Amino acid sequence: MSPDRFNIALIGSPNSGKSLLFNRLTGLNQKVANFPGITVDISSGKSLTDLSTDYLDFPGVYSLHTISGEEKLAVDAFYSALEAEQLSAVVCVVDATRLEKGLIFALQVLEACRRYSTPMLIVANMVDVLDQHGMQIDTKGLSDALKVPVLAISGKTGMGLEQLPQSLASTIAPTEQLLFASDIIASDDSLTHLQAQQLANAYGPKGDLLINAQTRLDTFFLHSWFGGVSFFLIMYLLFQSIFTWAAPLMEGVEALIQMVAGVVLPLVPEGMASDFTADALFGGIGAFLVFVPQVFVLTLVVGILEDSGYLARAAVICHKPLRLFGLTGKSFIPMLSSVACAIPGIYAARTVDSPRKRWLTYLAIPLMPCSARLPVYSLLIAAFIPAHKALGGLVGWQGLAMFGIYMFGIVCALLVTAIVSRSRAEMRSDLPFVLEMPPYRLPSWRPLLRNAWNRSKHFVTKAGKIIFIVTVVIWILGYFPNQGASLGDSWLGSMGRWIEPVFAPFGLDWKYGVAILTSFLAREVFVGTLGTLFGIEGAEENFVSLTQQIQDSGLPIGSGVALLVFFAIALQCVSTLAVLARETGSWRLPTQLFISYSIFAYVAAFTTYHLVEFLV
Amino acid sequence: MTLWDLKQGTFATVSAFKASLESGYRTRLSELGFHPGELITCVMVPSLGAPKLYRVNNTVYSLDDSIASMIEVA
Repeated sequence: MSPDRFNIALIGSPNSGKSLLFNRLTGLNQKVANFPGITVDISSGKSLTDLSTDYLDFPGVYSLHTISGEEKLAVDAFYSALEAEQLSAVVCVVDATRLEKGLIFALQVLEACRRYSTPMLIVANMVDVLDQHGMQIDTKGLSDALKVPVLAISGKTGMGLEQLPQSLASTIAPTEQLLFASDIIASDDSLTHLQAQQLANAYGPKGDLLINAQTRLDTFFLHSWFGGVSFFLIMYLLFQSIFTWAAPLMEGVEALIQMVAGVVLPLVPEGMASDFTADALFGGIGAFLVFVPQVFVLTLVVGILEDSGYLARAAVICHKPLRLFGLTGKSFIPMLSSVACAIPGIYAARTVDSPRKRWLTYLAIPLMPCSARLPVYSLLIAAFIPAHKALGGLVGWQGLAMFGIYMFGIVCALLVTAIVSRSRAEMRSDLPFVLEMPPYRLPSWRPLLRNAWNRSKHFVTKAGKIIFIVTVVIWILGYFPNQGASLGDSWLGSMGRWIEPVFAPFGLDWKYGVAILTSFLAREVFVGTLGTLFGIEGAEENFVSLTQQIQDSGLPIGSGVALLVFFAIALQCVSTLAVLARETGSWRLPTQLFISYSIFAYVAAFTTYHLVEFLV
Repeated sequence: MTLWDLKQGTFATVSAFKASLESGYRTRLSELGFHPGELITCVMVPSLGAPKLYRVNNTVYSLDDSIASMIEVA
């Protein structure tokens, strides 16, 4: 580490307000830092006030004595950084309103820092809450007792933060390190909580801080009837939001693409260049970009639920029902995260401390309706379900259909885990369920909006790259050798007819077959490929939406629903397979899941097609 | 009597952990505040056997029967 650069580690328990503090210190300009040999994500950001200082945000852990895989990764990362002398100082964040618990952890960190001669500073966060209740924390007394600087701050309001740079500078200075070798730390773990209790009693706030409103809200949200009804209502609103409420934004993006196409296309020379711009760029990539607002809204709504404290209550509500399917209440958060994207869902499954339940959660995650399925669902629903609305526009048939297909994915996920957990005796044992209930709070909008924006950007750049390459390849194969005169006689047409018999049993022609094959790279590619294919075939002068083109193609409704079912089940995501392989340490599970879910998807789509065609 | 037997709105003091409780969980429960001598309030008993809510100091935790029945209270 360079002597004029400082790496400051932020470490603390979950719900200690560490991330909010990190965002305030770095102004949200974060990037993921790479530490060699570490698989856990540590955010890194430059200090807003001092560009020579980098803050490293370590994942929140309750203790340095780990009991779950996720904690072990985070704690190992912290020890590796200490061992490699990568840290100039450690800032341990404790919640001043729950000082005793925070101090147990702080004493463990203090002991670790002493062992590696790394300076440490304690920040007692959330003093704004103490202020509201007319309470105080004696930072001077605590600092004298522990022989480390203690600062009272609020990550939320910024109170006391102006003192942090100066305290850090004096902590890092060599003279302070002599004081640091405090002998207050217990060598015996069992005494740590006793010391923490004594320190909290002597210097912490005195009085009852748990806000009664929290208990009142818990009484409502965990009530047998109100709790159940509000749970389903909140989940339903989540699905309505991604379809009905994102619609104006999607129409805006579509109008923008049409406008740009109207300006750009006349400027491009006639012939191949013009065909490429219209079909591959505006047809293929444009069709995919329309769905970005939905990813934004979905990430935002899931973020609001998490930030408000409701997700932990949802885990309590779901614990008993999920146990019926071989899972635990802790599986709910990774499963809900998978509604945004399977990748964070797989990472979040580390919080499931039982390895068996975690394995079962992995089986459920690829079946959860992720946002990459959203463009496909939206396209097919818009093409086949009328846009009628009810209850003053609050509920729409399309939203209801979206809710239905999402529920279908979730039901499939639960059925799979129920069958597997019952067929394997070793899956029935359980680890206990202990979960902290964070206080209810109003979401902090800026980090939430930033997170939704980042996720959308990631969606565009990550999926966009694949879609661009696939679109160009598909366009070349579909355009040649006859310069777009007849798509059926193109190279792609010949290949498509070769694979047509595979998808013909559910009424799909070769164009859909090609789109499904390409979607095994990533599901969203389906929309881009179909957009390009219809673009080459139609050769319209104006930009026509893909929905309109599907409707005009006369695809039977049975095939549309069969496609929805196929996409709900099939594991068409290379990234999910790769991350699963990394997390489980082998390609065995991803390979098994890929093969079995592909067969399951095919059989279910075939059955659905014949059932719908018989009924309609 | 164990923590799981506590009725909503009542409180008790942790007396011991059952011998069969794994040491890792024993340590974690102590770190969370569930250590012998500590006063615990049962804040909420949701229906249908869902995990119950317990308050320790200023924090509320949800514990299911498999672990709450390992904590003896008096």
